[in-house]
Amino acid sequence: MKVGLKEFLFGPVWDSANEPPKYGILAFILASFGSSFLTVLFAVPISILVAVAIGQLLPSAVGTVLRSIISLLAGIPSVIYGFMGLVFVVPFVQRVFNLSSGLTMVSAVIVLIIMTLPTIISVSETSINSVDKSYLEAAYSLGVRKEYALFTIIIPAAKSGIMAAVQLGIGRAIGETMAVIMVAGNIPQMPSMLKPVRFLTTAIVTEMSYATEQTRGVLIGIGLVLFVFIFIINSVFRFLIKKAGMIHG
Amino acid sequence: MSIITTTNINLYYGDKQAIKDINMDIEKNEITALIGPSGCGKSTFLRILNRMNDTITNCKITGEVIFDNINIYDSKIDPMLIRKKIGMVFQKPNPFPLSIYDNIAYAPKYHGKKKGELDEIVENSLMAAALWDEVKDRLNKSALSLSGGQQQRLCIARTIALNPEVILMDEATSALDPISTYKIEDLLNELKKTYTVVIVTHNMQQASRIADKTAFFLYGDLIEYDLTSNIFTNPKNKETADYVSGYFG
Repeated sequence: MKVGLKEFLFGPVWDSANEPPKYGILAFILASFGSSFLTVLFAVPISILVAVAIGQLLPSAVGTVLRSIISLLAGIPSVIYGFMGLVFVVPFVQRVFNLSSGLTMVSAVIVLIIMTLPTIISVSETSINSVDKSYLEAAYSLGVRKEYALFTIIIPAAKSGIMAAVQLGIGRAIGETMAVIMVAGNIPQMPSMLKPVRFLTTAIVTEMSYATEQTRGVLIGIGLVLFVFIFIINSVFRFLIKKAGMIHG
Repeated sequence: MSIITTTNINLYYGDKQAIKDINMDIEKNEITALIGPSGCGKSTFLRILNRMNDTITNCKITGEVIFDNINIYDSKIDPMLIRKKIGMVFQKPNPFPLSIYDNIAYAPKYHGKKKGELDEIVENSLMAAALWDEVKDRLNKSALSLSGGQQQRLCIARTIALNPEVILMDEATSALDPISTYKIEDLLNELKKTYTVVIVTHNMQQASRIADKTAFFLYGDLIEYDLTSNIFTNPKNKETADYVSGYFG
């Protein structure tokens, strides 16, 4: 049996064990995109604030300590984040939303936010710190406070670097497997914040070990979909970064 | 009439004393030039006049700077308000990476000017800086697209936009070509009718061309301060005579 592209990409039901099997991955696509989007939506503003605080506002000794902690966090294996999520985030979500289980998409998003923060922070901090210092000096000389100058001049001038940081963050969020499989419940159904979900990545890893010929092919197809999406996202960002870089010379 | 009076100003970078007990009156509506060899403290002294040295860590200042009958180093004074009245133009042109219009409107907007007033402020400031005719058709273009000389006049216009009383210029023409330099010198002669101008310059011809009074600094001391004509043709001090006739520096 062959699987049509349309029912593969837009089919709402995944049931590979049934006869005949259903190989719709729409739910995975939506879960992957939704969670990555939400992750970036929260992680980017937090990261920019932290990056500005570390590089520009806090005393340099404090900044140095925080910076080394953050680079340590960036190097922790994702399975550890998943484990921490299982121990802290999942019970927390269960309690706050009064659910029978905290293994939900929202738990995955929270873990992803925590995981992507270190990368986005350190890349955006580097780009914010490398903005010409004379802009700040000019702002001072006009009686403008540092905080205002940072948000109106310095951060916009660091835009292309921050976008590169966001690109890395999205890449990590959409490609993350281990941490999210541990906290997301991994049930193939249409995504909803307070229900268990399965992602593109976790769909592959869940069934690959026992997949028979056809399912195996479909799983490889999911990998291809993931690759194409990452490729598109990166191309869009490359374009945006180039455009932003051109404005600021 | 003097607009700024410094009394027993000392400045230390850590243990090192960079400015030694300087008493100086700066006359209103005149151009005062500060000259001296590199490292003599003239730029440091200039930055004392609008508290720009506040941003440097490990820098201690004693003494008084009286401006408009107040000591700007009084602990109750907000340095931002001082810098609004005593503007500064730097050695390297440092327009913000914004449009020409936004560069001028930036500080007035921050200090509470209404949107409706900004057009007029922008036009008047650019006129006063003799830049209006060159840029009036491209106010929305990036300021970074201007030439170095135009950028520096834009920085002057940006300072004028706050309607300051004093404009400090830290080697503001040293990065420019002779024609741009000439334009700015011309402009300063015009500006001194409205504002008081203090310039730091390495170019002794420039001081002799445009300054009403000239102060010669050496190793953090104010060696001689007199009418420019006296400094250059009839200096009282031997070191001044040596410096202006080119024996050292």
